[in-house]
Amino acid sequence: MTSRKRKKLIQKICLYLFVLVVCVIILYPYFVMFTTAAKDRDEMYALNMTILPLEWKWSNFIEIWSAAPVFRYFLNSIIIAGGATLLAILCGIPAAYAMSRMQFKGKSIFLGLVIMSQMFAPVVLLVGIYKLMTTLKLVNSLLGLILLNAAFNQAFAIWLLRGTFLSISPEMEQAAKIDGCGRIGSLVRVLLPMAAPGVVTTLIFVFINSWNEYTMALTLMSTDTLKPITVGINVFYGFNMIQWQYLFATSLFATVPVIILFLCIEKHLAAGLTAGGVKG
Amino acid sequence: MKKHSLLKKAEPYVWLLPSMLLMAVMILVPIVTVFQLSMSQITRAGVIKGYNDFENFKAVFRSPTFWHTLKNTLVWTVTVVGFSTLIGFVIAMVLNQEFVGRKIVRAIVVFPWATSLIIQSVIWKYSINADYGSLNVILQKLGVIEKYINWTPTAQAHFAWECWIGIFVTVPFVTFCVLSGLQSIDTAYYEAADIDGASFWQKLGRITLPLLKPSLTVSTVLNIIYVFNSFPIIWTMTKGDPADRTHTLATYLYKLSFYNGKSGQAAAVSVIGFVILCICSSIYMILSLRAEKEEQ
Repeated sequence: MTSRKRKKLIQKICLYLFVLVVCVIILYPYFVMFTTAAKDRDEMYALNMTILPLEWKWSNFIEIWSAAPVFRYFLNSIIIAGGATLLAILCGIPAAYAMSRMQFKGKSIFLGLVIMSQMFAPVVLLVGIYKLMTTLKLVNSLLGLILLNAAFNQAFAIWLLRGTFLSISPEMEQAAKIDGCGRIGSLVRVLLPMAAPGVVTTLIFVFINSWNEYTMALTLMSTDTLKPITVGINVFYGFNMIQWQYLFATSLFATVPVIILFLCIEKHLAAGLTAGGVKG
Repeated sequence: MKKHSLLKKAEPYVWLLPSMLLMAVMILVPIVTVFQLSMSQITRAGVIKGYNDFENFKAVFRSPTFWHTLKNTLVWTVTVVGFSTLIGFVIAMVLNQEFVGRKIVRAIVVFPWATSLIIQSVIWKYSINADYGSLNVILQKLGVIEKYINWTPTAQAHFAWECWIGIFVTVPFVTFCVLSGLQSIDTAYYEAADIDGASFWQKLGRITLPLLKPSLTVSTVLNIIYVFNSFPIIWTMTKGDPADRTHTLATYLYKLSFYNGKSGQAAAVSVIGFVILCICSSIYMILSLRAEKEEQ
């Protein structure tokens, strides 16, 4: 074996070792979540603990639905995340369209304001948000969280959509205009179909962000039946006894669909996030 | 005719209106409220009694917990953003190579990004429990340790674990920003460098890093903002305890406002947070813009 070949081989082995270590570390919490979710409650605090469950207790995954209003939590999460996504995209598309296709005074100021709004995470505004929601009578209201999530995702939605729109040549829309298509017509019939990957990426990204949101929901939703799943799982986190197996079984249901959705958009998302910035 | 041109001029603003209205009501109003509250005296029942000569700020500055929290926040932000940028960068470089199973690894790296912070934190909290946590169980079965270890003997240890989780969940974002940057670099640069006999480090310093600057700037600025404002990890792990030693500004103001009934002081902490964040982001932007100009 020549030294060059040997060097290549060693490099390859190092690469695989590195990748293996990274994967093991990343998958570790998911492994814990899965194995613990299938353990029996008595096994949880046993003296001689095992890594895998002694007996796989799949019934945990069924029991959670009756042990707490888990179904209701999931439904609330779907309503909040779905509503926020719809609202964010309905407001975001016209804004991104104006910012990518029209010339007007104060355009860069608007863009600056949109980016600036990123600085204000919900948690630092919580005192103000709580007061606003009290005034609007939207404490303990799904609508309140829909509005808030949509607003806090506006910046990303506009950023991603604008990047997508800018990457599409306006020639087709101009042609449609000559054919007598108005602005709205050319947006809906020409631009949006071409921008579909970017629009879907934005939809899913906003949905996941709202689905995973915790801070505002924790503060605003005290009525049990209105809590989304991120706050609702706390029911298994009692003062005396923590039902880890139920907690993790529920978490698994809340995590897997989101990861699958995320995998669908991962490629577009990273490119979109950085592209929007570079073209700014 | 004149009316028509006026309409045309107003048109872009009409398109912007729904979005701006939503953000104005849901973000701008709370911002204004926070500034107003930070200057006002507020009773425990939440009644605003009017301007009180920066008494909230003075009270915050007098509190030793605040200064400790401020230090924690800086350590937290620098550690998490620094390490996750470094690790994310290395993983992205590796994922940019051709190897068997690359697609699967790419997919796995996405996991922490897509998982709710609260769920991620709860798993780690369970995992490092000294009595029944799975980290001890696994390490013992593998023969690495004999007796269970108390992973969090001190407040610093708690905080270190929180930083670790922060890094863990931030790495994927950096990885994918860098990866999309790497994939947009023309391979012709590397081919030319190979012909000139450039080493790996020369290629990294002269080609990869300069061309990655835009991606790295975006990911770093966004990460500074997110990590600085991050709440769920620390809240789930310790709620700022033991003895308020593991707070960052975000958890501290939450506790002040919703546990201690001091909304005025909480609002003051918020305002201090904005100011720090504004300064940091502007410094970073100015520095990276200047560096870009020098290169041209």
